[in-house]
Amino acid sequence: MPTTTASAVCTTVGNNILLRLTSGERDVKLKALRELKNQIIGNRTKKLSFLKLGAVPAVAGILSDAVSAVDVADNDENDRIVKDIIVQSAAVLGSFACGFEAGVRAVLDAGADILIQRGCLVEEMPLLKSYMEVVDAGARSLKMIYQSKMAPKYDFLQEENMEFLLSLLNNESENVSGLGASIISHSCKTSLEQKLLFDAGVLKRLTSLLGGSLIQRDASLESIATIFKNNPEVVSQFVGPDTGRTLSCIIEIVKDRFARTRLLASLCLIVIRNASPCYLQDVGIKTKLINNLLELLDDPGRVGDEASFAFSSLIAEKEDMQKLAFEVNGVDKLYNHLQKGSLHPRRFEGILLALADMCSKLECCRSRCLSLQVLKLVVDALAHDSSDVRSAACMCLRSVSRSIKNLSAGSFMNETIVIPLVRLLDDTSTAVQVAALGAISNIVVDFTTRRSTFIRLGGVKLLVQLSKSMDSTIRLNALRALRNLIFLAEDKCKEEIFMELTASLLASLICDPEPSVQEQALALVRNLVDGRINSVEYIFAEDGIILDAVGRQLRIASKAEIEIQGMYVLGNVATGKESHKEAVMDQLLLRAENKAQSCIIKFLQSNDSRLRTAAVWAVLNLTCSSSPGSSGRLVKLHDAGIVSHVKNMVNDPCLDVKLRVKTALEQFNSFDDSLASTSCLQFLTVRAVGELSHVVDPSSKEEESIANYFRFSMKKNKKKKSTRTVKFCFDVPADSL
Amino acid sequence: MSLFWIVIRQLAEIEAMAMSKKVITREEWEKKLNDVKIRKEDMNKLVMNFLVTEGYVDAAEKFRMESGTEPDIDLATITDRMAVKKAVQCGNVEDAIEKVNDLNPEILDTNPQLFFHLQQQRLIELIRNGKVEEALEFAQEELAPRGEENQSFLEELERTVALLAFEDVSNCPVGDLLDISQRLKTASEVNAAILTSQSHEKDPKLPSLLKMLLWAQNQLDEKAAYPRINDLATATLEDPAI
Repeated sequence: MPTTTASAVCTTVGNNILLRLTSGERDVKLKALRELKNQIIGNRTKKLSFLKLGAVPAVAGILSDAVSAVDVADNDENDRIVKDIIVQSAAVLGSFACGFEAGVRAVLDAGADILIQRGCLVEEMPLLKSYMEVVDAGARSLKMIYQSKMAPKYDFLQEENMEFLLSLLNNESENVSGLGASIISHSCKTSLEQKLLFDAGVLKRLTSLLGGSLIQRDASLESIATIFKNNPEVVSQFVGPDTGRTLSCIIEIVKDRFARTRLLASLCLIVIRNASPCYLQDVGIKTKLINNLLELLDDPGRVGDEASFAFSSLIAEKEDMQKLAFEVNGVDKLYNHLQKGSLHPRRFEGILLALADMCSKLECCRSRCLSLQVLKLVVDALAHDSSDVRSAACMCLRSVSRSIKNLSAGSFMNETIVIPLVRLLDDTSTAVQVAALGAISNIVVDFTTRRSTFIRLGGVKLLVQLSKSMDSTIRLNALRALRNLIFLAEDKCKEEIFMELTASLLASLICDPEPSVQEQALALVRNLVDGRINSVEYIFAEDGIILDAVGRQLRIASKAEIEIQGMYVLGNVATGKESHKEAVMDQLLLRAENKAQSCIIKFLQSNDSRLRTAAVWAVLNLTCSSSPGSSGRLVKLHDAGIVSHVKNMVNDPCLDVKLRVKTALEQFNSFDDSLASTSCLQFLTVRAVGELSHVVDPSSKEEESIANYFRFSMKKNKKKKSTRTVKFCFDVPADSL
Repeated sequence: MSLFWIVIRQLAEIEAMAMSKKVITREEWEKKLNDVKIRKEDMNKLVMNFLVTEGYVDAAEKFRMESGTEPDIDLATITDRMAVKKAVQCGNVEDAIEKVNDLNPEILDTNPQLFFHLQQQRLIELIRNGKVEEALEFAQEELAPRGEENQSFLEELERTVALLAFEDVSNCPVGDLLDISQRLKTASEVNAAILTSQSHEKDPKLPSLLKMLLWAQNQLDEKAAYPRINDLATATLEDPAI
């Protein structure tokens, strides 16, 4: 069979070479080394087969012998051969380590990195003429090794190591100084190391290397970025006349003729920019960086792949940058690249993430995406082979679906989008599942009540299953999706969801070990019991285990977010029948161990105005004038000291709280008045609180439009209700997970 | 004359005036040219740059001696590079690979496309010399794995192997692979890679200048009639056509 012949030939040749390597004669050895080198350079398959034949330890041995032989070299001829042997064996080892992980491992195992360092770079070679060849060969090989993640960590804390590094950097040869820079780029990870290097003054030398050859420039740019990355302290010390020079130098290099250099220069500037509030903030440099990166996308190779990731790091979380990028048609340009089809997975992932970042805060970007029909390509990507691409596609969807305008138009709740998304809930990769949950959380906030599509496609079953996952991130995100799904859902819909969830699961999730999961579970219940009075019944299912759980959590919780959700649950339940209100009273008046008073008093005194608001709502609903049992409840509340606390809040600094307290006091007074009017205070306000990914501004237009929409829809509902609050939540920014 | 004729002539006159471009005579043009100052040093640099990039070592050396212009790279490195280029142009690809690896072992290790093209050229040379079995073996052992790693390589490989399928290779659809031009293409690619690794521009400046000239003339054509250079080789001014 042809293949067998081929590999048989290979092995024969291979064995032949290896045999000659062991020869006693230097000439033969040298020749064999050169042959081996020429066989493996550029040829991954050959590297692998020679690896298996044990070439690496053999060559390392030869190098070791040659280095020891240096001292005893006695004539020119021997000099030359020994030097050649060192050069060739270093080249062979360097090639094995070039972009070939198994090779790097073998080279490291053979201790070749130390050998090369000692043999080629450290000692002066008194007897060997033209030792620059040796130094260069050694430096090249070590640089290859240090480009791999597996390379040993360079210990900057050791003084002699630092000195060696500085000597490398200061060397004239571009390979040697390039090696020094590579070591920094590879090994400098902690802020302590960054500071050490900065204090040792490497920046000055690195800046001068910026004016050197291509190799020196590229290596230097990477190192400079490594030293400053995520380290505001070091950046802040980067002041003085040198700084301006370095920065302007790098800014010039952004226009370099080589694409990779342009990318590295941009990355360097981005790192400095992100770590410092004052450098590189003017519009000119911002626009330059954006345009440069968008242009680099055109590069067909790895540079183009990485350009989109650099773009993301430039604009992520920064609305001003996203706006600038939008103004130079960033969305269109990204879309054009997406359209090209059969993209390398890395490039595909990068562009999707870039679009996700573009649309994360700005409605104009989302609208543009939707009008360009980006969705179609994104939905196709949901089924891509690479999990990174699938994940990126979900994030893109998540960003675009933050568009309330389109959510209310039902642009996302259709089968073409929902089916592949639901399929991803079952994905093998956890990251993909979490990303899919993020997208679903937004999409199910469907104002046209077409969420039956989602339910019909089996979405609820999967979400409930995921809410039982071992992974807390998945539980959290699944609950968030369910919470948004239940938001303002129709009765039938709620029933289906509740049947799938079951009361016992909900109760256990409320008591989940993770506080963030507890919070989502409570928010879910809050949305569950909103609506018609029947909805309140859910909380009493299975002997009221849910209500008990809520009460329990309120008594022991310490995180404000949990307490807020819990209080709103109670507040919503308190809008129900008499029995419901009484049940809430029971929970409130139950005291936690070692506590002298009801938990609600602690909430009323909280520093967090949201919590105070929630607490007052509950009191309001419990003492609603239209309910027969309210006067009795008012007495109990009074006895528990709660009423007086509320009265003390009449001048609360928060307007929301103040208004509720005012209403509450009016209600209290209406009981004192024997001629209490029968007018009831009935609010049909549904306060919808949207937590969008940017800072929630209660006066923002989007907020108002949501609230108006709901007021309108609730007016159609003729039921007399006391105040209710519901809450839907768009995906919460990652840092609060 | 009928009114109709008068109207037509008027229209023609108006059109002619609207489209009339500025006309520049040869004297005017040559006068303008004489007013433009170019430094001799700049021209020398351009010539040196061309000689060095294309690899004409002896010419560059002589030019340096006669004009005193310093080359921007070490002439010694040119010799090495030219040896590689020559080897490829003669079809000694294996020799070329060895030389490149001696010059800088990183080049082929970090340039998969170039490496593939060199291997491809080796295959072509084997086929050209009628060594069919050896060619097949080589294709299987050396090139097939490259094709597995990369889709575009696979397509090129298939094209090359197709040479073996034809009796009359010079007339088959992939016959262009056997042309000298293919060797020159590969040689050029190697040359460029070596130059890049030495941080030198891979293209000489002279062609860019000429392209710029042609472009500028095309732009000006829309606005004026003037003496043009139509033959770059002779660079003679040809009078404007009126």
